[in-house]
Amino acid sequence: MKRIPRMTAAALMLALLLSLAGCGSADGKTHLTFQIWDVAQRASMEAICDAYTAQHPDVAIEVQVTSWDEYWTKLEAAAESNTMPDIFWMHTNQILYYADFGMLADVTDLYDDVEPGYYQNHFSEISIGNASGSDGRMYGVPKDKDNIVLVYNKEMFDAAGVPYPDADWTWDDLTEASQKIYDATGKYGYMAYNEDHLGYWNFVYQAGGCILTEDKTRAGFDQPATRRAMDFYLGMQKNDWCPDQTYFAETQPGVAFFSEIGSMYLEGNWELMNKSTSYPNMTGKWDITYLPKCPDPASGDGRATMSNGLCYSTAAHGKRLDTVLDVLKFFGTEEAQNIASSYGAAISAYIGTEQPYFDAFEKAGYDLNLQVIEDQFDYSVQCVNNSARPKWKSPVLDELTKAYNGQSDLDTVLDNMQTIVDEATAAALSK
Amino acid sequence: MKSTNSLHRSYAMAKFFTYFFLILGALIMIFPFVWMILTSSKTVPESMQIPPTILPEQWTLANFRDVLKSLPFGHLYWNTTLMVIFRVICAILFSSMAGYAFAKLKFRGKNLLFGIVLVQMSLPSQIFIIPQYQMVAKMGMANTIFALVFPGLVSAFGVFFLRQTYMSIPDEVGEAAYLDGCNQWQTFYKVMFPLTGTSVAALTIFTAVFAYGDLMWPQVVNSDVKMMTLSAGLATLKGQFATNFPVMMAGSLLAMLPMVILYLIFQRQFVEGIAGTGGK
Amino acid sequence: MKNKLSAAARREENWGWIMVAPTIIGLSILNLWPFVQTIYTSFCEHLGFGHYRFIGLKNYVDMFSNTEFWKATWNTVFFCILTVPVGVALALLVAILLNAKVKFKDGFRTIFFLPLVCAPAAVAMVWRWIFNGEYGILNQILGQNIQWITSSKTAIIAVAIVSVWSSIGYDAVLLLAGLQNIPKTLYEANSIDGAGKVRQFFTITLPMVSPTMFSVLIMRLMASMKVYDLIYMMADNTNPALGDLQSLMYLFYRSSFIAGDRGYGSAIVIWTVGLILLVTLIQFWGQKKWVTYDI
Repeated sequence: MKRIPRMTAAALMLALLLSLAGCGSADGKTHLTFQIWDVAQRASMEAICDAYTAQHPDVAIEVQVTSWDEYWTKLEAAAESNTMPDIFWMHTNQILYYADFGMLADVTDLYDDVEPGYYQNHFSEISIGNASGSDGRMYGVPKDKDNIVLVYNKEMFDAAGVPYPDADWTWDDLTEASQKIYDATGKYGYMAYNEDHLGYWNFVYQAGGCILTEDKTRAGFDQPATRRAMDFYLGMQKNDWCPDQTYFAETQPGVAFFSEIGSMYLEGNWELMNKSTSYPNMTGKWDITYLPKCPDPASGDGRATMSNGLCYSTAAHGKRLDTVLDVLKFFGTEEAQNIASSYGAAISAYIGTEQPYFDAFEKAGYDLNLQVIEDQFDYSVQCVNNSARPKWKSPVLDELTKAYNGQSDLDTVLDNMQTIVDEATAAALSK
Repeated sequence: MKSTNSLHRSYAMAKFFTYFFLILGALIMIFPFVWMILTSSKTVPESMQIPPTILPEQWTLANFRDVLKSLPFGHLYWNTTLMVIFRVICAILFSSMAGYAFAKLKFRGKNLLFGIVLVQMSLPSQIFIIPQYQMVAKMGMANTIFALVFPGLVSAFGVFFLRQTYMSIPDEVGEAAYLDGCNQWQTFYKVMFPLTGTSVAALTIFTAVFAYGDLMWPQVVNSDVKMMTLSAGLATLKGQFATNFPVMMAGSLLAMLPMVILYLIFQRQFVEGIAGTGGK
Repeated sequence: MKNKLSAAARREENWGWIMVAPTIIGLSILNLWPFVQTIYTSFCEHLGFGHYRFIGLKNYVDMFSNTEFWKATWNTVFFCILTVPVGVALALLVAILLNAKVKFKDGFRTIFFLPLVCAPAAVAMVWRWIFNGEYGILNQILGQNIQWITSSKTAIIAVAIVSVWSSIGYDAVLLLAGLQNIPKTLYEANSIDGAGKVRQFFTITLPMVSPTMFSVLIMRLMASMKVYDLIYMMADNTNPALGDLQSLMYLFYRSSFIAGDRGYGSAIVIWTVGLILLVTLIQFWGQKKWVTYDI
């Protein structure tokens, strides 16, 4: 029957496959894999790899991109079977899970032979914190630092006759301008949606409250300052100039902003290059500025912005640890961090390597007030995190959603959020 | 008995309704495909515009250019083709044998073993990812075509579906073959299996589409984008926060092409029914 | 006492085992073993990276006392009720239409096939646009302002519509094969006059295609009970209607993949599998009433 020639074909293919499977490297170089989740940063990562391999021709590094949705499943599966990539990005969402379990290589003493106190000299406390485990040791070389800025539409401000937001803006200015713009143009003001990092966290810390206490063992939702800030933030949706959450559940503020439907929203600086290149029709119509400060904070000067940062990590029991650590060491040098900044996707963590980031925008012809980002690092707050966060993240969101859709009042919701976080944290710490 | 006039009328009505529903259905089905074409020809701002626009202001091919630059389509096509071919061969081979056995043969433990098939069908595929990854990694076969094929080496649904098909073939067919001197294997191979052509074709399409659409497994088990399938390769274009939709749509259109061609070839298998079943 | 099998029966038995062996071995290694692991981990607490600690029934106790869980169970069942009968019936209708003598048959069949290979991202994007509360096409056509995806009453219906739409293609392909397997001679022998077509449908078509319909029914039922991807794509995690939308597998994904609570997630899986098997067994018992294998 026809099956016989088909079977030989299958057998031949099998043979072909098996030969492909063993396709290793016969060129004597050490081949390393470097895994990331952002295809937009592939070029910058390849650039720092090239800079390293130029000085070390016996090493070849391959940058591999996995989409964010699958990245962590893949990494965890690899961790369980000790087949992790040689180098990979680590995110604050996950670093405590990996570090506390001993999955990541300790890089605290990486630079001791060249410069003791290297990290303290060249990276901010927040950057170091974002790359550390619960034991205070470092488990990644800091890669970048970011913070949240206020993005606004200049044309809408002009149309309403409202002066552009500046460093002196307070929450009151924010709401007043929103109302004026809405009255004059029918466009939305500040789009306050149900979101933590790009939303209420900033306001809470501006008011002198906190989401987690200093020692990260308890939540801060029971503090009056926190409550006032949450009340203010959620209350914004009650105004005409801010759509309600059912709108935002289907339309992100960023999308609304760049469709010229709303005039202001909060964005992370990591998105600015992407937005600039994606919306050339909007170039010159928008700019960024400082987050408005709280006019009557319980403590502090009313200024705060959330700052996060990624780091470069490797497995604690990797196969080519020595070579990899050498690469990581290079990634943390001023040279590498300058190269990475120059692609405009992220500001490298190394203090003093911000200029190439600004230059990238200038070269591309995007005129934004990027100095704001650098200035805000002075009062930035480390992104909220503790080892139990994966456990309380979703339940807290579910609870807060009830406040947004009127199922429950804010005080009850905040009480519940407090309980959720406290219980999850206590459980995690007792393990 | 109806008159010939009303006969023609009801025949015409049937024809009308058939075409009506077919065209209506086709319009509903084709909608996203049309949307994909339109989006892939737009610029990013146009594609994200709210309220959404339908036709692009200016049709552009830039997205196709960009996606061809971003992904190694040659490798993706090759990997996907190989993976699909192997999975289909395995599915047809093993599921036909098992489906026939479950339908027509008597052996101890039959119901228990068929229960295993049913249980597998009830399981959500997410519980397989980490264990199967570890198996592949232990074999040292991560990042290979074999890894892509691995979860599809056997097909529980294939067994179930073909069992139904074999059960509808009258027992007399098998008995006739036996009288002709065939043993069990020959009955299956020479007589029964050839009768399942249309079902096998359907299973082929089903298996192929299912394998083609899986984007989680290839990304987890293979790291090199050159070893991904089309769906997985496209998924890597998805950003953490924002995705360039026009480019993704362009890539998806390019990825769909082989599947559509495969279907056009295979659906010819659904020719007018098998005349008679050997009862002659 | 079992009778000793005759030589012929023993040969048949051996062939039976041999022919199912590859599949059974494969399924056992690839799928059963992870399932056994899941059963075990449902009685454990996940400490991290595949390390578990036995905690007995705690996960099940927590699960059964959780209102969100029961809501998800109901959501899943309701989703099945919405999608399976309508989906299979429509797929049968489509298969019959595609089987008829029409021009451009190839063209029509290919068009109905397209949704199967359309990128899920594209499908989600289009349907989210159709159902959008503010700018959606559906609202524009109906002249209403219904919050399809964000309102508790309609969210699950919207997702069910998308589910039926996506699965018609799959099911129709299988049913088409079933229809093609019906010998033409049966129709010819039975045909007295053209108007008997409707009767022919009930006396010939339906019974002859019932085995295939059974396959499709079981498969669609199982798939609907396991729904997750669609909900994830159609609904944002800040969607106010999420509580009335999330399925058991959605809860599982949240537990196991987001919170790392794989033990609890496993318990949800076991519960879901139990439900599916129960429903499947009912279907197998019920098939005596309407599925015919021999004419």
